[in-house]
Amino acid sequence: MAGGVDPINNINSLDPIKRIQKLNREKTEKAGEAAGKTEPDFQKVLDQAIQEVNSQRKASTQARNDFAAGKISNIHDVIITAEKAGISLRMTMEIRNKIVDSYKEIMRMQL
Amino acid sequence: MLDIFDTMNISASGMTAQRFRLDVISNNIANAETTRGENGEPYRRKTVVFSEVLRDALGKSQYNSIEDLNGVEVSRVAEDMRPFKMVYDPSHPDADGEGYVKMPNVNVMREMVDLIGAQRAYEANVSSINATKAFANAALRIGRG
Repeated sequence: MAGGVDPINNINSLDPIKRIQKLNREKTEKAGEAAGKTEPDFQKVLDQAIQEVNSQRKASTQARNDFAAGKISNIHDVIITAEKAGISLRMTMEIRNKIVDSYKEIMRMQL
Repeated sequence: MLDIFDTMNISASGMTAQRFRLDVISNNIANAETTRGENGEPYRRKTVVFSEVLRDALGKSQYNSIEDLNGVEVSRVAEDMRPFKMVYDPSHPDADGEGYVKMPNVNVMREMVDLIGAQRAYEANVSSINATKAFANAALRIGRG
């Protein structure tokens, strides 16, 4: 054939690559769905943990208010509630730091 | 294994119990000279009876595993049945025909010793809570630095 490269054949030659790409995409999507079903969503886990810390903080504030209002007679209950809230908060901070560190590590990765 | 906060709750129950004991001891000291209590008798010394709280989720009092440990509670306030002290004081309005007054069976010295005991027991619970906190903080330091 005159003209050297057949334009139609040239386009068709790209097809198998596209098909593989499409297959791969479907595969990853399915894998993602499967992973989502078996493991709880990371965001949900984090959300729950933060909710719990928040409720601890609320309990601490409530205990302090109750003590000020004379509803609680035990000082140690107030302090212990505050300590619990403090420990939960520290725990959250540590986990957050770990997540941020991991994120930074990934962002520094040379591509 | 208990939740680290449950460990703190156990210590808190101990502190509450010792606070209650303090109340009873204070009441004994305050009433050491009370000659007119219930049913015309002098004040009787009171003591606290503690019991271990072993309860599962259904409130069944039975020890099965470490998860059932729930600390201490005041089971009841008992009265000391030892005889009253007879003190000779004819000027006292509650003196009998021979001039003797029935005084409460409270020994203030003994109450003071009990008071120190309660104070130290309370402090021991504080130490226990601080140890729990130190454990938690040590665990949070893992992997740092």
